[in-house]
Amino acid sequence: MRGKVKVKVDGIEVEVDPGSVVLDAIKKAGIPMHSLCQAGELYRGASCRLCLVELPNGKLVPACAYPVSNGLEVYTRTPRTLRTRRTTLELLLAYHRIECWICKRKGDCILVKMANDLRLEGIPICAECPLHSDECLLNKGILCLGPLTVAGCEAECPATGGRCWGCRGPITREDVVVRALRRYRELGFTLKEVIETAEIFWSAHPFLEKFKLLAEGV
Amino acid sequence: MNRCCLKCWHKPPDNPCPNYVQCRIKGPLCHDDPECRELRARRLNELEFGRYGVKVRVAIASCTLAVGAAEVYEAIRDYVKESGLAIDISVVGCHGLDFIDPWIEVVRKGYPPAIYANVSPEEVEDIISRYLSGDVSKAFALRYRTGNAKGEFHVPTLDELVFWRKQVRLVSSNCGLINPESIEEYVVRGGYLGLARALRMRPEEVIEEIKLAKLRGRGGAGFPTWIKWKAVKDQVSDVKYVVANAEEGDPSAFSNRLLVESDPHILVEGMIIAGYAIGASKGYVFVGTEGDLAAERLKKAIEEAKKYGLLGENILGSGFAFDIEIVQDAGRYTSGEETALLEEIEGKRSTPRVRPPYPVTKGLWGKPTVINNVETLAHAAVILRDGWDRYATIGTEKSGGTKMVSVSGSIKRPGVYEVPIGTTIRTIIEDIAGGAPEGLKLKAVEVGGPAGGFLPVSEINIPLDYDTLPKLGVAMGSGVLVAVDEHKCMVDLARQFMAFFVSESCGKCVPCRVGTKTMLSILERISSGKGSEEDLELLKELGETLKDACLCALGNGAPIPVLSSIRYFKEEFSAHIREKRCPAGICPVSREVVRYEG
Repeated sequence: MRGKVKVKVDGIEVEVDPGSVVLDAIKKAGIPMHSLCQAGELYRGASCRLCLVELPNGKLVPACAYPVSNGLEVYTRTPRTLRTRRTTLELLLAYHRIECWICKRKGDCILVKMANDLRLEGIPICAECPLHSDECLLNKGILCLGPLTVAGCEAECPATGGRCWGCRGPITREDVVVRALRRYRELGFTLKEVIETAEIFWSAHPFLEKFKLLAEGV
Repeated sequence: MNRCCLKCWHKPPDNPCPNYVQCRIKGPLCHDDPECRELRARRLNELEFGRYGVKVRVAIASCTLAVGAAEVYEAIRDYVKESGLAIDISVVGCHGLDFIDPWIEVVRKGYPPAIYANVSPEEVEDIISRYLSGDVSKAFALRYRTGNAKGEFHVPTLDELVFWRKQVRLVSSNCGLINPESIEEYVVRGGYLGLARALRMRPEEVIEEIKLAKLRGRGGAGFPTWIKWKAVKDQVSDVKYVVANAEEGDPSAFSNRLLVESDPHILVEGMIIAGYAIGASKGYVFVGTEGDLAAERLKKAIEEAKKYGLLGENILGSGFAFDIEIVQDAGRYTSGEETALLEEIEGKRSTPRVRPPYPVTKGLWGKPTVINNVETLAHAAVILRDGWDRYATIGTEKSGGTKMVSVSGSIKRPGVYEVPIGTTIRTIIEDIAGGAPEGLKLKAVEVGGPAGGFLPVSEINIPLDYDTLPKLGVAMGSGVLVAVDEHKCMVDLARQFMAFFVSESCGKCVPCRVGTKTMLSILERISSGKGSEEDLELLKELGETLKDACLCALGNGAPIPVLSSIRYFKEEFSAHIREKRCPAGICPVSREVVRYEG
């Protein structure tokens, strides 16, 4: 076809308009790609570095800004791209104020989707809980361990009406735990009962000691 | 510099003459007149020895001013005024031998030019009166011997001194010898000959010359200069630019500053040559805040070059027009990055741009732009002056010429030295710079600035070039060598560098903005004795990510000091983590232990 550029993405050949970027070709090839550009209102300057793809010469380039050229080959899921992507997202989350239980993006958060995809821990069940915040089990007076528990199960128990028992283990980021504990207290739970509930699944977890210390400080 | 008589054809700047530069040295060429010839010869002699046959040269540059050169200059001026001696005082740049600052040089016809080291204002009278009485025994070094002065054979000449003999001074040959504010002294020493030669060639031939000389960018990455020039030359555009990067963001890098302060004309000449080769008509020099003196002298150089038809319209009668503008702004670490530098010249915040498009296709204001380090441009001037064949014999097979290195830290003779590429780091550190001061032992050498990395002393037997260093996990960078002695703690140094990167990161991309901060907090944890073995793994993992994922070379280089010190000095990190002790006694971990015991 004339006026089209042939690009190979992970071995799949696609044709895209000249002047477009590698990310367009990746989308056209139907390969899921991590990138923040999907959150439309964000600044675009190839600065989140999540969509890095590897060129055959071993260079990592951002797919959202690298222009396509005929015969270009890119690889989206090499060990190196996955490693850097994982670390970069981890860094992004490290300075993210994780407070999913009151976040308006609840259930529709791009960070959570990417974190689950890249197997990153540190996001609470609440992020996946499809319930609207008004109907949060905590608001109903049920002691749910969602804010303290690592996400990844798609909040199965709360979604089906039961509360979260924390079977996936605790979040170990202290600032998140402290914020969650404050939330419990605001809603009228005593921290003693939170700890007691948590001990059911976490009694052998090394974080429990620290968790109790944090609860004392709140 | 002006025409000698009415017969002289050259009348700058309206009627420039292609032979103007040669005429100033071999004097007058367009007409034969014994009177003019004598006038020229007298002028050349005057430039060398002053109007009265005696001249005192005082080195005034940032490095000498810092240790009181201004006071020395005033003392000499007062002494000459009071004593009524017929002596000329002239300002020169600096040799780069920072351990002899402040220094002065006294010259007298028929006597050896003597350099006096570490001069204090009180000594001035003694030095000058002794020299005039024919006694040079107190001098630090002589430029050459004449056999007329007393004590001459007890003083070494510069060529006998190892730190001078082992240098190959190409771009810095004028540094410390000429008045940086005098175009005449530069021209007399062969300046602008390269430009005159280039203007007689076709632009392709100039680029070919650079290619054959194997010149690679001296800014750090070592990209072949001719490829960059050719790429811009091949671009079709009405406007093209030459940008000289005189911003040295690296701490302990001072070679570019010394070059521009001591010999600004070589940069002007190099820029005009680059402009001619690529077809640009405008050049910009970016100078950071620490380059006030450099900018001032460069401004003077540009004005003077314009006055004599070496810059501006119709340069040397060739029809080629070129203009240079100085941009001075608050320099910061990222400003040294080429695209961030362009942003800053455009008046924006200095953050790197996404590449591609590269500056060779879309640079300053979207036009094709050549960005070179000032040293690279100076090398271009030298190549065009001497010819590529001579230049290419110096250096290594893949990379010709020399590199100016700034040596500092725990070292006997700190300074800027120009060595052929491929000289081993050991030669520079131990022979030229004299190794560690008395009573100290070197442990490591920081090569190439903060983004370069540390090498243990056992590994410094390697040549300083663009191909060998990356294999050892360090980089040539800006040519910085900092000697680290045993009393320094590598963990603390890694932490300090990381703190530097945290404050200098422009914050545009995630890995650099957050990664440096995270690495700093881990290093702080280790240095305060709260680190664990996993922290080392974490540092390595973060470091590798930063190396791969950052937007610009500065972010990619940020983890290198940490990675290289973990690679070569792991036992020090282990001491902090396992034994909770800092071997050098610097980190707070061991300070607490000392307090506890005491």
